[in-house]
Amino acid sequence: MRGRAVTKSESKSERGAKTLFAISATFSVVAVAAIFLFIFFSSVPALKEVGIFEFLFGDVWDPNRGEYGLLPMLTATLLTTLGALLIGGSVGVFSAIFLVYFCPKRFKGVFDQVIVLLAGIPSIIYGFFGMVVLLPFLRKTFGVESGSGLLASSLILGLMILPTVASLSKNALESVPASYKEGSLALGATKEQTVFGVLFPAAKKGILSALTLGAGRAIGETMAVQLVCGNSPFFPKGLFSSIRPLTVNIVTDMGYALGTRRSALFVTGLVLLVFVLLLNVLLAWIKREGKPQAGKERILTPSAGQDGRVYCKKGGLSTALAVVCRVVAGLASATLVFLIGYILVRGLPNLSLEFLFDRPTYNRPTLRGAFVSTFYVILISLAVAVPIGVATAIFLVEYAKVGSKFVKGLRVFIDTLSGIPSIVFGLFGMVAFCGQGESLLAGALTLSLMLLPTVIRSVEESLLAVPVSMREGSLALGASKVRTIFKVVLPSAASGIFTAVILSIGRIVSESAALIFTAGSVPMLPDSPLDSGATFAVLMYRFTAERPDFAAAYATAAVLLILVAIVNLFVFVTERKLKKGKK
Amino acid sequence: MKEIQKFNFSDGVAVEAKNVDLYYGKFQALKKVNMRIQEKRITAMIGPSGCGKSTLLKSLNRMNDLVEGCKVEGEIFIGGENVYEKTADLSRLRKNVGMVFQRPNPFAMSVYDNVAYGPRTFGIRKKTELDEIVERSLRGAAIWNELKDRLNKSALGLSGGQQQRLCIARSLAVEPQILLMDEPTSALDPISTGKIEELCMQLKKDVTIVIVTHNMQQALRISDQTAFFLLGEMVEIGDTQTVFSMPKEKRTEEYITGRFG
Repeated sequence: MRGRAVTKSESKSERGAKTLFAISATFSVVAVAAIFLFIFFSSVPALKEVGIFEFLFGDVWDPNRGEYGLLPMLTATLLTTLGALLIGGSVGVFSAIFLVYFCPKRFKGVFDQVIVLLAGIPSIIYGFFGMVVLLPFLRKTFGVESGSGLLASSLILGLMILPTVASLSKNALESVPASYKEGSLALGATKEQTVFGVLFPAAKKGILSALTLGAGRAIGETMAVQLVCGNSPFFPKGLFSSIRPLTVNIVTDMGYALGTRRSALFVTGLVLLVFVLLLNVLLAWIKREGKPQAGKERILTPSAGQDGRVYCKKGGLSTALAVVCRVVAGLASATLVFLIGYILVRGLPNLSLEFLFDRPTYNRPTLRGAFVSTFYVILISLAVAVPIGVATAIFLVEYAKVGSKFVKGLRVFIDTLSGIPSIVFGLFGMVAFCGQGESLLAGALTLSLMLLPTVIRSVEESLLAVPVSMREGSLALGASKVRTIFKVVLPSAASGIFTAVILSIGRIVSESAALIFTAGSVPMLPDSPLDSGATFAVLMYRFTAERPDFAAAYATAAVLLILVAIVNLFVFVTERKLKKGKK
Repeated sequence: MKEIQKFNFSDGVAVEAKNVDLYYGKFQALKKVNMRIQEKRITAMIGPSGCGKSTLLKSLNRMNDLVEGCKVEGEIFIGGENVYEKTADLSRLRKNVGMVFQRPNPFAMSVYDNVAYGPRTFGIRKKTELDEIVERSLRGAAIWNELKDRLNKSALGLSGGQQQRLCIARSLAVEPQILLMDEPTSALDPISTGKIEELCMQLKKDVTIVIVTHNMQQALRISDQTAFFLLGEMVEIGDTQTVFSMPKEKRTEEYITGRFG
């Protein structure tokens, strides 16, 4: 064999790459720390002047008279979250049971997609639906004056967290080993008894996590409740008494609050952050590896057949529960299909080419500005979040030692980041990025932090799905680790990264709370990313809350729904392809 | 751009293991292994599952480095150079000591890119040169005729046997001096197995082959030298015919005649 000049890859670049990945990975830590610090320092003036005790236990909120009691709002947040869990949580879990065990096979795929689609509907649309459909309904049914308040908030939040709880519970139920089912059925138990006696308890942990995450969404939600809560900072006295949860407190005043009053809103954000941390601790506690407990064993002397034991057919309760499942799942899907249908039917007729594409003026806003603004925000936030997210995922999967303290710590920070309410991101973005005033750039940077955990997680999953043997094949040829990652591993994980990008676009399109105070809500045509501008969801907020214009709101909502549907279609198609490729 | 040197097998010995102990955490997988592998021969490593034969194979090109908690003591020389030396160049080692795995592991790329991956890794970019390497390697792996019309198709669409021969071609493309094969036919049907055995016989003209196999007929058919492993020890090594007909050790005889394992 004749010699061939072959060159050796440098190990300096190897080390350089590793360092780069590690630095990207610490970005999440820096982000969380920065959010906490910025929110904390911005709340210091108010904390000094008013005192933490007054904030937490004062029962009157009246900044004009120097009263800063958050207790009524705290109570409202807790009660609405509880209500949302009771309604949305239980319905979500029952729907998941239906979907996994009782749904006819040919509808299963459709149901799956419906849940995914619903999870992607912007919260502002849920709020709008509550305002135009739920409130009139409550008024008529109960003969109350406005219908808004505790009940309406709980219902809308429940509806909103339902898809989250349902899809996570579904995952938990599906990961119960098939052998459990066989074991129970082989003893003669009915399908219903098996589901409620064996399979459901086996998935308990996963379902509790699903409910906790649902609670997190409910606590942090701003837009959906804002339109139906009534917005008065008083203690809830009944189902229809007007309330104001913590998140709404921020969004209501932030636009014009100054001085101590402004700082007090950051204190509100701080309280929300503490809530999120507590929920994270709870989640970690649920997820911890349960050690099997040595139970007391009672030893019975076998006596079967001696005392003429009678075996009876039982299972009335589980049969009844199975019926509940079917009914509840039916009701939930009917409601959600109604929501989509209603918005489209009312919205599409209000859509006109002029409203879509004309140049917007201050008094006659059109969607053209939203197209441009949304496009800029998507472009910039992806350009920031995707490289950092991919690098972090590469570090976690390819370099970090599994179970090392650093990785564990990193995960805590990533989980925390994903749990922070979007309104708090908004507060952070306002103080961190808006030194020169509101701009699309500031909004996009804020959103990129929000997207980071999602990107990391889905890229991580797709990297893990690349077989180890492919890496070995490349390394065994003498290729360096970096080359292996970029030429062999990443291309194989490309569709997963694509999915992450699409999911991120979906979140950007539906986000409003984090953008209002960072990118602004001006419905004008931005000239560059340094201008402020309103994305679709923010425009929707403007049409419902700031300067109500229901015809425009319906039309915007319809466009938003269509965008979300398109995004979901993309995800669906990619995942299909992925499954086919694996065969 | 430094040229990668080949190993120098001046005395006809390709590999020499001296007192190799290998641990996975606390478990000792290899115990004081001493053996020599001759250049341009096929050496078969046989023995029951978990006896350490694959472990030894993987330490020859240091693929064991990927296993967490793996520790090697003793020395492994390739062409007189200790590959566990701190200054050893892993890229050079693995370029010259290629490996074919138990399950075919083509990359999710075209047939052409799979074969060209190795040469490109080492700086060969010219299209004409790559074309020539790809054709020569595929011919070398006796799969050129089957694949020449689908060089741009994804390698994942090939049959298991074709994938494995493609992986061999991929290894050949960087002109290795030694080819390590870890049960290369255990996931294949008899016809594909036959093709790969035939290929090994062809390849040994240029390349030293070390093959781990569970199939004793296979060892007997293709190898010149056979080493028998048991519980982490290298029990016996010798001329294949001798090891199979007149083993020195009782344990070897018992395994070969099927009394255990």
